[in-house]
Amino acid sequence: MRSAAGRSPRAVTPPGVPSGPGDKAHPGERPTSASDVGTAVTEAFRAEWGRVLAAVARSTGDLDLAEECAQEAFATALRTWARDGVPQRPGAWLTTTARNHALDRLRRRRVEGAKVATAARLAERVDGVPGTDGTGVAGPDPVGAAVADALDEWPDAEGDEDLLRLVFACCHPALPLEGRVALTLRSLTGMTTAQVARAFLVPETTMAQRLTRAKRRIRSTGITFRVPPPELLRERVSAVLAVLYVLFTEGYDAWAEPAQHVAGCAERRALADDAVRCARLVARLLPDEPEARGLLALLLLQHARRDARLAAPPAAAPPAAATVPVSEPVLLEEQDRTLWRGDEIAEGLRVLDDALAERRPGPYQVQAAIAALHSSAPSAGETDWAEIVGLYDVLVTMTPSPVVLLNRAVAVAMLRGPDAGLEALGVVADAPELAAYHLLPATRADLLRRAGRPLEAATELRRALALVDREGDRRLLARRLAEVGAEPAEAPRGAS
Amino acid sequence: MRYLMLILEADTPVREPTPDIADWVAKHDASGARVMGERLRPAADVRRVQVRDGRTVVTDGPFSETKEVFGGFDVIEAADLDEALAIAAEHPGAHGASTIEVHPFWPTDGTAGATAWTPGGSAS
Repeated sequence: MRSAAGRSPRAVTPPGVPSGPGDKAHPGERPTSASDVGTAVTEAFRAEWGRVLAAVARSTGDLDLAEECAQEAFATALRTWARDGVPQRPGAWLTTTARNHALDRLRRRRVEGAKVATAARLAERVDGVPGTDGTGVAGPDPVGAAVADALDEWPDAEGDEDLLRLVFACCHPALPLEGRVALTLRSLTGMTTAQVARAFLVPETTMAQRLTRAKRRIRSTGITFRVPPPELLRERVSAVLAVLYVLFTEGYDAWAEPAQHVAGCAERRALADDAVRCARLVARLLPDEPEARGLLALLLLQHARRDARLAAPPAAAPPAAATVPVSEPVLLEEQDRTLWRGDEIAEGLRVLDDALAERRPGPYQVQAAIAALHSSAPSAGETDWAEIVGLYDVLVTMTPSPVVLLNRAVAVAMLRGPDAGLEALGVVADAPELAAYHLLPATRADLLRRAGRPLEAATELRRALALVDREGDRRLLARRLAEVGAEPAEAPRGAS
Repeated sequence: MRYLMLILEADTPVREPTPDIADWVAKHDASGARVMGERLRPAADVRRVQVRDGRTVVTDGPFSETKEVFGGFDVIEAADLDEALAIAAEHPGAHGASTIEVHPFWPTDGTAGATAWTPGGSAS
């Protein structure tokens, strides 16, 4: 089903908005207009959700309240735009309306004394916009056509600034990682809790709890919606980028899973698209951070290979009894490179060049540079492995993680042969972080096989099979084990 | 927003303030961030109190197995968590053998409870 790839299976629409042009929001009442309005609101939702949410979150310091008011604003738009037409600047209109809803709610809660100060602050902001009366949503039409025109002056930069503050709050290291990833996705894309839950393959109640806990912790620990001070900025930018990379990996891993055999695969794959979108946004919001562009380049270059990551196994393998052809993951070296998406690679290379020109390298730029070398090589054999090993050496000095060392060993094997690779792999043989990681024994098995030691390779493959938690990799490992077993036994060497 | 900083450190019979701690105290007293703070006496002087079935039970500290004790505390007024963490990170204890725990207060302005919240950036 690779042809259906690329498109997100998930239509993100605000509540109550007709999802197709044939739908009618208000049957019997200006149906054509209602459908147009539905389209306009849907478009605005995709383009503006994050900014509207961010503006209210910043004004109130309350992400829950902001979500409710942003949703209300889109519902209001559906009613009001059908009557008054679509404003010229839908985003500014929606932001003001959402702020008015927030103001209204805070006024209703006025009995709680502490909130008056914030209500006043909000009123100040709303009053600052010519034409709004500051009385919130008391009237049926909080923002008239004249106001919408006045809002044309609304500066874009303000929306971006708020969005950046929202991203930093959602990715705050004081929140649990799972909560950060889910909250960032939900806040930036407007996906519903149910959609986020499906994408991460957890029950909706679990996801709802995860999101609620993260939002509550923002309030209870005193995380504010602001760009971190300079002395914290580098560290916190890394935290944001790490969250986006986790998000991407969730989706990208699913591209190496046989979709027809793994539930929810299409939705998980769409997370990779979402992550690229978010990374694009963050790269734009942080123009002075080459690492943000490095991450975007890395994601684009990896994502461009998605269509080549699965294929039917070689004909040499005995055909499965099932009639459905069973696909399995294809390692980078064996991928059909004509399936790689040239336009995305070109964009990735451009973004990377741009980042590298700043001469402030970082781990994402180095990883993107490695991905770029793969993307530019016509085949695995014609890849500049010496350069790749050199880049891994740089990467090790930046992030000495065992996974980096594992990947370095693979590159060393390509450059200097499997024995050199096995020697390089020895460094991480006992790394506790990799104790349950199936790719460590799987990599060792591959190198042993290439070194002509099939018996040891088989042992490592069995070890990998005991650890693997992904259907795609499990199939690949099982086939490899069958192949290794079929090869003539190794000449006895000592007492192995 | 208010935070309690607990300094977890090795138990020692004598706990004298060092010049670097005095500098930290002076700096954050001057800025108004440090509301108060004290050194605490060693574990041997700690007593635990429990009332069970109407009977008051006083015991020695539970520190026989514990390596670290509360050596001191500070109450910090900060704009937000990042600011509180930055102040804690400046504490000499955070750089040595000690650990600093940063505990956010419940708001004390009458809005405590599940709906309590602090307007962004302002002190409660």
